[in-house]
Amino acid sequence: MTQNAEHVLDHFELFRGPEYQQMLANKKKMFENPRDPAEVERIREWAKTPEYREKNFAREALTVNPAKACQPLGAVFAAVGFEGTLPFVHGSQGCVAYYRSHLSRHFKEPSSCVSSSMTEDAAVFGGLNNMIDGLANTHAMYKPKMIAVSTTCMAEVIGDDLNAFIKTAKEKGSVPAEFDVPFAHTPAFVGSHVTGYDNALKGIIEHFWDGKAGTAPKLERQPNDKINFIGGFDGYTVGNTREIKRIFDLMGIEHTILADNSDVFDTPTDGEFRMYDGGTTLEDAANAIHAKATISMQHYSTEKTLPFIAGHGQETVSFNHPIGVTATDDFIMALSRISGKEIPEALTLERGRLVDAMADSGAHIHGKKFAIYGDPDLCLGLAAFLLELGAEPTHVLATNGNKAWAEKVQAVFDSSPFGKNCHVYPGKDLWHMRSLLFTDPVDFLIGNTYGKYLERDTGTPLIRIGFPIFDRHHHHRYPVWGYQGGMNVLVRILDKIFDEIDKNTNVPAKTDYSFDIIR
Amino acid sequence: MSSLSATIQEVFNEPGCGKNANKTEAERKKGCTKQLQPGGAAGGCAFDGAKIALQPLTDVAHLVHGPIACEGNSWDNRGARSSGSNIWRTGFTTDINETDIVFGGEKRLYKAVKEIIEKYDPPAIFVYQTCVPAMIGDDINAVCKAASAKFGKPVIPVNAPGFVGPKNLGNKLAGEALLDHVIGTQEPDFTTPYDLNIIGEYNLSGELWQVKPLLDELGIRIFSCISGDGKYREVAYSHRAKAAMMVCSKAMINVARKMEERYGIPFFEGSFYGIQDSSDSLREIARLLIERGAPDELMARTEAVIAREEAKSWASIEPYKPRFAGKKVLLITGGVKSWSVVAALQEAGLEMVGTSVKKSTKEDKERIKELMGQDAHMIDDMTPREMYKMLKDAKADIMLSGGKSQFVALKAAMPWLDINQERSHAYMGYVGMAKLMEEIDKALFNPVWEQLRQPAPWENTAKNWQAKATAQMEAEAAQLGVDPVAAEAARRARKICYCKMVDLGAIEDAIRAHALTTVDEIKERTTASSNCGSCKGRIEDVLAASAASAPAPVLQAAE
Repeated sequence: MTQNAEHVLDHFELFRGPEYQQMLANKKKMFENPRDPAEVERIREWAKTPEYREKNFAREALTVNPAKACQPLGAVFAAVGFEGTLPFVHGSQGCVAYYRSHLSRHFKEPSSCVSSSMTEDAAVFGGLNNMIDGLANTHAMYKPKMIAVSTTCMAEVIGDDLNAFIKTAKEKGSVPAEFDVPFAHTPAFVGSHVTGYDNALKGIIEHFWDGKAGTAPKLERQPNDKINFIGGFDGYTVGNTREIKRIFDLMGIEHTILADNSDVFDTPTDGEFRMYDGGTTLEDAANAIHAKATISMQHYSTEKTLPFIAGHGQETVSFNHPIGVTATDDFIMALSRISGKEIPEALTLERGRLVDAMADSGAHIHGKKFAIYGDPDLCLGLAAFLLELGAEPTHVLATNGNKAWAEKVQAVFDSSPFGKNCHVYPGKDLWHMRSLLFTDPVDFLIGNTYGKYLERDTGTPLIRIGFPIFDRHHHHRYPVWGYQGGMNVLVRILDKIFDEIDKNTNVPAKTDYSFDIIR
Repeated sequence: MSSLSATIQEVFNEPGCGKNANKTEAERKKGCTKQLQPGGAAGGCAFDGAKIALQPLTDVAHLVHGPIACEGNSWDNRGARSSGSNIWRTGFTTDINETDIVFGGEKRLYKAVKEIIEKYDPPAIFVYQTCVPAMIGDDINAVCKAASAKFGKPVIPVNAPGFVGPKNLGNKLAGEALLDHVIGTQEPDFTTPYDLNIIGEYNLSGELWQVKPLLDELGIRIFSCISGDGKYREVAYSHRAKAAMMVCSKAMINVARKMEERYGIPFFEGSFYGIQDSSDSLREIARLLIERGAPDELMARTEAVIAREEAKSWASIEPYKPRFAGKKVLLITGGVKSWSVVAALQEAGLEMVGTSVKKSTKEDKERIKELMGQDAHMIDDMTPREMYKMLKDAKADIMLSGGKSQFVALKAAMPWLDINQERSHAYMGYVGMAKLMEEIDKALFNPVWEQLRQPAPWENTAKNWQAKATAQMEAEAAQLGVDPVAAEAARRARKICYCKMVDLGAIEDAIRAHALTTVDEIKERTTASSNCGSCKGRIEDVLAASAASAPAPVLQAAE
């Protein structure tokens, strides 16, 4: 039955109908030069072998299924964390559409961002006019309080000078002279989205602290007791940032969250469209220079920002996406040490609850093997938590991880007897991971939505932790930081483990003698 | 209800019970189970006991007659395993309401039976009585009888409403229901000289299946298992078995004994828990079957299997030796039953540093010393804080116990492994030992325990509850050290009989005042040990101590 208006079928069902199947089969037979199915099967099986893995790992030029995104995505993510700020990407508008859809599909929220829409002539003659017109239009149409400029490759390749362009645009009256237009060069051919986050954040802070590109006096640091907090590029920013604020408040620490995008990615549905919501105020961003210290939750998201801040006389501390008891202990104790505030009983209780939960169900995780991929800091945080639970993070892979990162992961392995047979794979992709899962199988895979293909092909159950998560909703609302965040990660892992047990015992009259209600 | 109370009386009189044999006529009448203490944290009721004893019968519809409380909170809560039907897992209840309470629930029960037969057609329906219908006078015996006659299908009343007593009594009442209504009602297609009943085995985690291959190999047929993975028909013709093995003696001793009495089926009490016990049980099975006409060569084959399996089992423990070296274990379990694992644990290199003796007799304690050495801690009743202290003093690396102690253990930062019935791993038989070792190994080396033992790093360890508890215990001890009067008071305040709340001082006074020399005399004077009797061993210890300590009675007599 073809589609009919009386009873419209969606694509799940429609194309399984006999006439579509027939059509597709004919097409294949007549026009697609089909291979012998046995040969296809042979190749499929061959791709699971160590021999294939060797060839796969010998790849030099080709990246297949990368587990990373580009710099400007991170720049846009950081920029929307400031009050009334519209990210402006100087370059081609197609790239910008990707950042918007990527963020939108993950957070299920609109993602506002404009581009200078460079075309071929701009590529030849330079993008100055696009900058001039772009800033003018953006300012006029969307009434932002700040426009944060980043770049796509196109602008970078031709060498557009953002500082000069913005200056010229201001002279030409695109935006008022005192209007804040921080900028960062964020070429995608360098680093990844975490680098872009770093560059954009540094650009914004530098703008406020170091005299707004020569248009204002540099700020003089007058130390106070506040603490700055930077989350880094984090798919859980909504839940995490709120959890972190709660912890700061519990401890009574005055703080500034830099690039706080927790509200803009979680706007309420109440009849009002919020193009901008929440965010670090521009005043706070400027005053952050006076803080006692800055804490970064993700070292690799702040590799340039932190030294810049340290250069202004603050103490800086960075973590690797802390998850679990020990990592959170370190974070909380750093807060306590820096602020001089005591750790409140409430947090001690939360800690005890997480330990209790881990003891109650740790036996189910203990001894299991996991493969992890994701951003460098997330991998480190998850690997440490798994080791804490007695699991083996057998394969840890980050496409945007470098050699220094790999050494750090190795140090984490070396810190636990459970890390003995674990390996780290910097700069590798998900097709490498595919080979690993076939030749050296694990019990569970932790990764983002793209892991579902690995789950399907290799049968390794996927636990979705990371960015982006497109095919499950609202995970970003639940923190993974703090003791409560650790609890969420624990539960997410356990849920999958129990789902698998159920799945393996649910065939009526065959395996269901173990299909139990108590696990 | 008169027949129910008669049944209960009969169960209390059970001559097969070792404890009963030592009681006077009057004590036996009082019943063998611990009377419930109002205000205490009690275990399950008789209904629950009956239900869990019979629920593993897999092809039977288990219908609970009562308000939603009874079945709603409990359906499918048993980790038994079925090789066939799943109807035993379906929650059937009459879910009676207010109207039923006013007008009686018998009609609803009858209809419910009818609907089960129409929709599921199981070989039998077990109807469980509960408190509320029992109180309003619903006669489930009559309803079951009428339904059986009408539908031509066994409808078995299980008369164990919760209020008649605790869980253990319910187990026995369930046995009575089988004896009265099921066993002996059908005939098998054929019999062999190798037909064995297994009674009181529930196939939890499928552990019976770990032993079955050995029985199969020996040609021994599990004729009927009551009730693990059991089928109604098998129970109905179980009276034709040649011999029986009684597994969980507390639960269904009455069934085994009455089957011996009525049908001449000899039984022995045994277990497949631990290597030695498994071997003993296999030997005993072979012996009984041979006695009943099986060829003598069965014993030789059995010995061969035992030798082979023991060797394999010991070998499977071998790899754990280096990992277990120096590790100390605290064993907190119901008692004798699980001691047969001790040998295996010791063989694997674990050191047993203590065990619970709350319900142990004097003989039991002797055996513990034999097994674990003179230094073994015998723990009467350990509070979490004592448990913590024990751990802190590095006296134990892990506690093996039943599920009940789990949460106390964890809160006391004590690594813990469940070796009792609610566990999800099968430890039965020779292969079960390897599984147990694997689980102990995992538990011992789980890094979560490390986390558990560490206080929050910022915590002032001088001020946390563990420190406070330790300090308090030390302070108390120090106080008693300098204050002999208080020390003596504390010593005398130790509870000996928990049922009647009799402390050591009262017993010592009685011994001294009346020159008592036997437990029975003490019982008469102080009421200690007049209820459940599990403190008999402790009283014997007190008697022995006071006899040794002084000619006190003589002195007193002279005064």
